[in-house]
Formats: sequence, C-alpha cells, structure tokens
Amino acid sequence: MVRTLAFLSALLLIPAAHGQDESVRFFEERIRPVLATRCQACHNEELKTSGLSLATREATLAGGTRGVAVVPGSPGESLIVAALEGSGALSMPPTGPLPDEEVGAFRTWIADGAAWGADSGDPIPAAALWSLKPIRPSSPPDTSDADWVRNPIDSFVLAKLDEAGLSPSPEADRRTLIRRASLDLTGLLPSPDEVRRFVEDTEAGAYARLVERLLESPHYGERWGRHWLDIARYADTNGYSIDGPRSIWRYRDWVIKALNDNLPFDRFVIEQVAGDLLPDPTESQLIATGFHRNTMINQEGGIDFEQYRVEAVVDRVRTTGSAFLGLTLACARCHDHKFDPISQQEFFQLFSFFNNVDELGGNLEETVGRSRMMDPVLELSDPETLGRRDAGRKQIEGMEAELTELKRSIEAAWDTRFPPSDIDGIEIAREIVRVPPEDRSSVQESVLNRVLYEHAEEYQQKADELKQLRKQLPEVEWTMVMRDLPEPRESYIHIQGDFTRKGNRVEPGTLAVLPPLPPDAPRNRLGLARWLVSEDNPMTPRVTMNRIWQRYFGLGIVETENDFGSQGSLPSHPKLLDWLAAEFVRSGWDLKAMHRLILTSATYRQSSAYRADAAAEDPSNRLLARQNRIRLEAEAIRDVSLSASGLLSPTIGGPSVYPPQPAGAGQFTQVDRKWKADQGPDRYRRGMYTYFIRSAAHPGLILFDAPIAQESVTRRNRSNTPLQALTLLNDESQTEFAAALGERIRSLAEDREGRIRQAFELCLSRPPQGAEQERLAEFVGRMEDSYQSDPEALDESRFDSPFAAAWAAAARVMINLDEFVTRQ
Amino acid sequence: MRPDRTTLRQSTRRQLFEDCGVGVGKLALTSLFVGDSLFGTESEQRRVMHHAPKAKSVIYLFMAGAPSQFELFEPKQELQKLSGKPLPPSLLEGKRFAFMESFVREPPKLLGTRRKFARHGESGRWVSECLPHTAQVVDDLAFVRTVHTENFNHAPAKIFMNTGTPFFGRPSMGAWVSYGIGSEAEDMPNFVVLQSGPRGPRGGAMNWTSGFLPTAHQGVPFLSGGAPILNMTSPQGFDHDRQRASVDAILDLNRINMERAGDPEIATRISAYEMAHRMQTSGPELIDFSTESQSTLDLYGAVPGGKSFANNCLLARRLVERGVRFVQLYHSSWDHHGGPGESLDKDLDEVCLSADQACKALVTDLKQRGMLDETLVVWGGEFGRTPMGEVRDTVGRNHHIDAFTMWFAGGGTKPGQSIGETDEIGFSPVKNPVHVHDVQATILHLLGIDHTKLTFRFRGRDFRLTDVGGRVVDDLLA
Repeated sequence: MVRTLAFLSALLLIPAAHGQDESVRFFEERIRPVLATRCQACHNEELKTSGLSLATREATLAGGTRGVAVVPGSPGESLIVAALEGSGALSMPPTGPLPDEEVGAFRTWIADGAAWGADSGDPIPAAALWSLKPIRPSSPPDTSDADWVRNPIDSFVLAKLDEAGLSPSPEADRRTLIRRASLDLTGLLPSPDEVRRFVEDTEAGAYARLVERLLESPHYGERWGRHWLDIARYADTNGYSIDGPRSIWRYRDWVIKALNDNLPFDRFVIEQVAGDLLPDPTESQLIATGFHRNTMINQEGGIDFEQYRVEAVVDRVRTTGSAFLGLTLACARCHDHKFDPISQQEFFQLFSFFNNVDELGGNLEETVGRSRMMDPVLELSDPETLGRRDAGRKQIEGMEAELTELKRSIEAAWDTRFPPSDIDGIEIAREIVRVPPEDRSSVQESVLNRVLYEHAEEYQQKADELKQLRKQLPEVEWTMVMRDLPEPRESYIHIQGDFTRKGNRVEPGTLAVLPPLPPDAPRNRLGLARWLVSEDNPMTPRVTMNRIWQRYFGLGIVETENDFGSQGSLPSHPKLLDWLAAEFVRSGWDLKAMHRLILTSATYRQSSAYRADAAAEDPSNRLLARQNRIRLEAEAIRDVSLSASGLLSPTIGGPSVYPPQPAGAGQFTQVDRKWKADQGPDRYRRGMYTYFIRSAAHPGLILFDAPIAQESVTRRNRSNTPLQALTLLNDESQTEFAAALGERIRSLAEDREGRIRQAFELCLSRPPQGAEQERLAEFVGRMEDSYQSDPEALDESRFDSPFAAAWAAAARVMINLDEFVTRQ
Repeated sequence: MRPDRTTLRQSTRRQLFEDCGVGVGKLALTSLFVGDSLFGTESEQRRVMHHAPKAKSVIYLFMAGAPSQFELFEPKQELQKLSGKPLPPSLLEGKRFAFMESFVREPPKLLGTRRKFARHGESGRWVSECLPHTAQVVDDLAFVRTVHTENFNHAPAKIFMNTGTPFFGRPSMGAWVSYGIGSEAEDMPNFVVLQSGPRGPRGGAMNWTSGFLPTAHQGVPFLSGGAPILNMTSPQGFDHDRQRASVDAILDLNRINMERAGDPEIATRISAYEMAHRMQTSGPELIDFSTESQSTLDLYGAVPGGKSFANNCLLARRLVERGVRFVQLYHSSWDHHGGPGESLDKDLDEVCLSADQACKALVTDLKQRGMLDETLVVWGGEFGRTPMGEVRDTVGRNHHIDAFTMWFAGGGTKPGQSIGETDEIGFSPVKNPVHVHDVQATILHLLGIDHTKLTFRFRGRDFRLTDVGGRVVDDLLA
C-alpha cells in the first residue's frame, strides 16, 4: 500500500521530471521560474494584488479585478501577455520588461493550452508523500532461508532479494569482519593481535563480543561524532572572506562525549537545539547549543550586519531541514516550495524560532559590531581570571576615555597646531575635524585616529599605552553558545527571500503537513526541539536511521538522504526503514542499540566481493546481495595511517591541532594563514582534530571530500582523483607515516618474508597472497639495491641504511594501496 | 569469482567520467585488460554538447578588488563637469552600498577623473593613459560597459561572479565547465587557478570550489615558484626511477586486488595513479620557460622563475596549449577606496603597470599562434566603482554594482566593439544592461553549452550556474 501510494505520488508530483508531458515540462522549465521570481511576490494567495493570484492554475484562470489573465489557447486574449509586452495600459513586472524570449515563452505556453504542473500546497501531494505518513512498523516477512536470518533486518532484506531471485552473499571472513567493524565503529585499524584473537576465538558469540568491545571504545564517539560534525557544519573559523578564528571546539568534544555516553538521541537533539532553554541548564547543555552557532560570521568591512545575521538564521532552518526532517526547506525561502507541501510562510515560521538569538545583527556602528562579533559566548575560565579580566577592561575603558579627551583637545586647536600643508592626511583630517564628532562615520574616525597617531606624539604615546593594556588582558576561555534576547525579534516573510522586503508577520510554527506542536508547548526553540523528536513526528527517526544505514552500506535505504520529499528517491526497503525507525523510538532513542542491531545482522556481515549475477539484476546493489566496498573518509585515511604506523596520539578532544601541510596551502586566501606544524604528540592526532579553516582547509582533508563546512552536509562525495594519488604518494605526513611504519615492520620480523607478512597484517589485517608476497619482495630487493648503489639518494632520504630506506619505501607502497584506504 | 567484463568495463568508464574528471579519452591503461581497450571514443568525454563550440578554453583574468571603470574605460564629460557636487539623492533611493552608514551622514559627492583618455585603434575605443598597452589591442577586444551585479561586498560579489549565487559553497564556473565538457589535458588538471599581487582573492577556495559537483572538477590552485601543484614533488630520496618503481608496485598490487574484489573503483584508482605520475613528470616541463623565445618573454615581461601576473599569463597560455579548459588568474588589488595603499593615483598606477603589458601580450601571443579563435579571454572584476568619490586618506571610489566594464577577446566573440551604454554620469545602464548571469550564459554558450541545460540535481532541485536567470549576449558573438 505504501509502495503504491508512493509510486502514485511520484507520478502526480513530478510529471515534468519524467518527461511524460512536454507542455508541463515547458511550463516547469520556462514559465514557473518566471512566475516565481517575477510575479508571485505580489500575485500570491495572500496578497492577491489586483485580485489576481498566479499561485495555481485555477487561480490564474480565475483572473483578477482587471480581467482574465490567461485564456488557454488564446495568447491574444490573455491579459498577462499584454501586460508582459506592455502593449496595453498595463506593463508588468514593475521592475522592468522581461526579455523578449521570456515573453515569447508565455505566448507559446498559453497557445499550447497553458498546462500546469503540480503545485506545492496541493492537498494531494501531502497526502500521498510517503515520508509524511506515520511510521507503521510491520512484522518481518517470511523468507526463503530462515537460517540466514540473524535478526529482523535480514528478513526485510532477504524478502526483497527473494523477489528479485537473488541470494545473499556468504559471510565475510573473520579478518575482513574485524577490520570492517573496527573501521565503521572507531575509524581505526584493529591491531594484528586483536585480529589474531578474534580469528582464534572459536566460542559462540565471538563476533557479538567484538561489537560490544568496539561500541565501548572511546574512539566510537570520535568516529560517529565526526559524522555528526558534517551535519553540524563544524569548523574552527568564521567563514566568508576574512574567516578569522573562533572558539567552539568544546562543542565538538561535547558531541564525542554525548555519543560515548550513549545519550539518548532525543536528548542529544534537544540539548543541541535548545539546551540553553532547559530549566537550570548545565554547562554541558549550554556548550551543546554550539550546534547552531556553527553558522558563518562575515567579518568583512562595510557589510550590513543584519544581512549576515539573517543568513545565519536561514542556515539554521536549512540545517533543521536536512539534519532532522529530510526536507529541502530552503527551497521555500523565496517562494512556496515547488514540489513539496511547504509554504514560504511555514519557512519563516521556522525561521522565527531561530530569529531571537542575541547575536550580531541590526544596523550597528562598525566598531560596535566588531566588538561583539562572536556573541553570545559562554566564558569558562575560573572566577579569578574573569575578575582580573573585568578589572583590566575597566582600566582600558578609562584609558579610552582619556584618549578621546586628548583627541578632542587636539582637534579644538587643529588649525593652529597643523597649519595648511601638502600632507594629504593632515588636510583630509582637517575636513573631518570640521564635522561634529557625533556626525562622523566610523571610517572618518579611524582616518583621524591614524593621522593623529602619525603626527601627534602625545596621542601616539597614549595610544601605545592603551595597546599595551589590551595586550595584558588575561586570556579567557570561551565557547560559542545560543542565548535568546529577552524580547523576541519580530519575524516577517521576506518577499522573494530578500530580508529588506518585509511581507506578512509570522509567529513561530511548524509545518502543517506534520503533527502539530502540542498546545502547551513553548513557542521557542525548546518547543521546536521537542517537536522534532516527539513520538508522532515520523521524519526524525526515519531520517536518522536512514543516515546510520547509509554509513554502513554506502547508500541509504532512501538514496537521497537529505530529501524525503517528492523529488527525492523512494526507499528501496520502505518496510525495513519503518521497522528501524519504530525500533529506534521504542528503544528510547538508543543509538548504540541501533548500531548493534545493524552490525550483528547477516546483511551487514556479508562479503563485499563483486558478483556478476547480482550486478546484472541490480547494478547499484540497492538490494544488498553483498556488502559494498567504501573508500574511507578523509580523516579516516589519515587515522588508519597513524594506527598502522603506531604514531597515533590517541588523546581525545581539546583545542584543534596543526599537523604538517604542504607549503603554500594557505596562499590562496585573502589572509595568508600561517600554519606552524605541531611537534610532539599533537602532530599525530586523528584527522578530526586538524584545525579547520573554512576558506583554506587542510588540503589533505579537502582533496578527499571532507565538507567545507559552509552548510550542513549529510553525505560526502567519494571521489577518486589524481590529486589524491599525489597526496598519498608525496605528502610530508605520508613520508613520516611510511618511515615509522617501515621501522615497525623491520622490528617485527627477522626476514623479508616475515616482514612482508607483518606489513600486510598491520595495514590490511590479513597475510599476503603468494603473488603479493612476491611482488613486494621484489620491490624491496630492488629498492635496497638501488639505495646501496646511490649513497647520495640514501643521504637525501635521511635513512641510515639502504635496508631502512627500502622498508620505508615498501611501507609507502602499503599505505597507498586501494585496499588500505577502503573498508571492504 | 570473476567479474563480468562488460559490466565492469562500462561501470568503470562511467566512474572515470564521474569521479576522475581527467582526460580519459587519451588515458592508456594498457595493462589493465589485456587486448581490451578500456575506453571508447573521445567524444564520450563530453557530458554535454548543446551546439558547436567556438571556444575550447577560457583564460579568465579576474581583476580582484574591482577596477575603476571611470579611470580606465569610461570617460564621462558630465561627471567631469559635476565633480564635487553631491549625487542627486534620487539615485541613491532604495540602493544599498558598502560602508553605507557613511552615506547617511554625508551625502557622497561626484568625482571626475584625473586620468586622460583617448580613442584607440580603428574601432576608436576609449582607453585611459593607465593602460597604454591594452589600448594597442582594442581592435581585438569587445568591451561590455554595462555589466551589473547584485552584491556590493567583495567576497559575495566574487562568489557571485564565479558561481552565480552569493552563497558560499556552490560550484564555480570552471567546475561547471569541467563537469560539462570534460578535459583534453593528458597530464594537467582541467581547471587551474593562478594568483598574483599582494594577496589572495577574498572568499579563497570558494571561488573555485566544485560545490556539490564531483571534487575532481574543483579548481586546482597552482603555487607560484617551484612545483606548481601541492605534493607534486616526490619525497627526498625518490628520483624518477624509484618513484616509478614505487608507483608500479602500487599499481600491480592494486591489480591483484582488482582480480579478487572486482570493484571498478580500483580501476579508477589505478588510472588516477597513472595520471598523477604523468603530472609529476610533466609539471617541471610546464613551468620551464626556457623553451620560450626571448621575444615572447619580453612581450609578456615574464621572468623565468619569477612570480608575477606576467608569468601567470604566459603560464596560462602554456596550460591552454596542453588542453586545460579553464584557467583563472586572480590579480590583486584594484580596491581603490582612497585609504592607505588604495589611492586612485599611485596605487592604481602600480597595479595597472603590473597588469597592462601582460594583458596585451596574452591577446597578441594567442593571436600570433592561431589560438585566439579557440581561446576566450575574459577581463574584469567583481563589480565596478562609484561615480561618487569616497574620502579616506585620499579621495577614492566605493563599490558600485549597477554598471561596470569587462572586456572579452577571442573564443568566438566579435572584436572591436563596445556593448551597452550608461547614463551621463555612468551610474546605471541606459542601453543593453548585461547581468552577471548573462556573462556566465555567454561564456558557456561559446564553449558549446546551453546554460539552461547544464544542470545538477542536488537537494531535490536542478541547479545551474545561472540560477534562474541568464541570457546569451548575442551582440557579443562573432
């Protein structure tokens, strides 16, 4: 039933995309965008300027007070054509005539019968969209092979395979299983010893015990925390062009800890979205609200602060859409959603929840704005330090007042002190001095200050003292958090998404197509947060379980993991998704229980080896007749090298760190970032702790598709490029890893064969095959000879023997292998 | 179990097109499938080809900071006459500017230019004394004097010029082009970014990001001096032979695994390593200017081993010769507000001096080599500058989005003309306004791409470079 309806909805909603109807396609491509961007701001269902709404075909045909806008088949009789051409009394749009070809398109469209695609807000789509329906778990179906089934997941998967006439793949061997589970749960390699113990553990439940051990590892929180940080668009800098530093790594650490503590997911969401609004919030709950402070802040000169505050608020709505609801809410910023039942009004209802943060915005003086760029923040230093800081600030304020006083006194006697001269600065400052101080702009004041600093010694002296005082202020630890204004801001619809054009006023509210906010729920972020994880909201559990599934199988049950709307793909296993979602809620939103469930399924444990028979039937392996091979994420690629080489510093959390990066990597931004690589343990921390500069992120991360933290990302690309190859071959870090790994290999065995075996065990968790053994042995021999006969090269390589250099070269080969950077 | 070869080959090919973004038509993976060519015809590289292209490559000279059209290309008698008078408030109504708070307090005054203008070439185009070299090739250029944009701060405006939206993180023009029409470069990335001048462009990597397109299409910034690409140099102790031997060992071990796992991604990785190795081999040759004649070096004013806009222009030609589709040169800074280092006199002189000769040289050199027909050269900033003066340490000009000048050469554009007219003081277009989306649509058009058809589905919507706008500027086409 669900399937039929979903299929039906797809037909109803996206005829254009399916190319069934040329005239509808024409409307969608040529007419609708013009209506949306040029007409509907005034001619919509609410405003109905001149009585005309162009929101739906029905309304358009009904016309307005001036007459019939569109007569299907007769462009000549259609007022809209006359208005667009400006041939009659009326000329539209008021902003100026459209290009001829657009007007021509209207003629063609009307002549062809004025076809119309499905509109948002139509009752049919809402009712037919599968994802909006309540979760209806069904019992696991009967299947062909009850022995294969380990838990209900497998019944749902096998039932689909049965339908397609496919059989599942055999279970992966134990070495693959432990490597797979370790990478998936901790992002680190199992040690050869752990592999051996697991392989030798013949008692029942060995695999279940392995999964338990990995779930209890503190690295689990890091691994899954990093996935969440993609969604949270976490970074260490402010973004946009200046992209200065910020302090919010405590939020990152909060995520890691929350996952390790297995904080129930509903609380995980509530604390991040509205921890500050909980009764007597703890420090931890405040830190959690950094989630929605990961929005960017523009520090460029001359900007309109309000514009970028609005962008941040919009980003919070967009993130709510992709992180929890699986809906493309941002589409409704400028106009009603074209495909899904989300109105622009509803977008701004959601906007108003996030619109009250006491952050930089409005029409502020440049200097005032700059002083409160990061607000609101939570200060974390001890009271003594804070006290010293406050005293210091007071002193500075006093000094600032003195400086201003001094400035005014110099100004008062300007002409006597500075007779007319040919120094540009003096003359421009003279003009400025004539303007009363309260009428000057911040640019004028700063020009004046600079001139005074250069030409008035007593001013310079005092300004230097002030600078010194500022420098002496004690550093205070802080982290960015949410805090609302005492009085909420008024929220309006932004006409065409333009914040300078206010439409109707809106109040906080959710989407009409989902269960309503309870009447007693507070109309603030806390109310919204609770609504997101309320038992009858079907979206959050489906979206969350789908995303978890995606991490384990490469693709979600719904492939478009951030779009559960009509333009998204349909679930491959709708019943499985609902069963998982229901199970998730039933478990008390227990994330570790869900991981356990998936990891112990036969579906997960299958071999990932390619199967021609299955590929013929199901080329992209949606039915999961085998596991998928998945290239590791950027951070994990670093992490496996660190763990194989033994260099890993396993410290969890703390300020971000600076591993080496290629010289010149920061050269291409406005502000050339000095990157001083850490020495000591911080040089070898996991990839997730690398200091992340939005405008110039570490190339080793970006080249391997780490998101650039401009907006919430729910799935990464997995590209495979020559620049990645260059990085793995030649990057300074890789050379260090290879050297350490080479040394480790040398020390672990006595002969070449044994060492090669160790190399494979360390890197791939398995012994080499014959051909592999031979090939690498040949390579090592050749390298040793080569360095033997070339002492100069050996010297350059900084190894003390051809033997050592050759094994480092072999280690380098190992950490470049496809299998090494892949979860099989 | 052995994979089925046909399926594997097909999906491998698809994977390469999608993920690798390299010149697969010419890739030789001889050892992967014995006696079986992995790749089909060269035409398969192109994802789209909506019509016959005029241009094969683009060299985009991005004048970062926004050059003043009033000092370079737009003499306005009326503006000279009204210099010092306040701007009629009617022109300011409903407009937003950078540093607008200062306007409210003190209405800005119009500013005439101190630069001398003359007509040049047979086409009689106005160019000021600031650009004596550019003035010599005006008959090869097409000026558009009425470009207008939507964002008045540097970073969003640059992002807008490059991605069609002011939002950070959307795919840039070079990435769209690479994604759309693929590569002909055998050993170079398809979209290369070069930089000169005191600082990098505001917005950084967001100007050449691949956004939601596959990462392979993102612009690759070349470093000035030394190896142009990050990690292009082998580690110490690895000469060419040792590096080759290492790559061979990696490839062979990957092939063994390919036999076992059958995953086409492994084949893609094998080809990526082969390409990487070719890039390493050809990189030093690319930046070695010793093969250029002295007269060519003199034409540009390029110095072997130097870091300059001139060197980058010459490098751009060499990249295009090697099949690179999109080369973008950022040259800073043209942000002449009047503050320190931002004067319309000395500082403008300096940046003009650093750019002018090489611009001419690039057009001349491409023409001499018969490459100009297939290479589109674009010159322009992220917006223009106001007809009003702005008082800082000296009098400069503020950011202006309603009308500014760009020029185009080659690649199927019609030279020796000037498109669009602005009003008497150069504030707004009065004829032929050209929106940034129109510029983008036209560049794509010249490359054989219909800007409305090159789309990518993301977050439930088909996105394109020109968002929901853009029309091809027909007057610009030859």
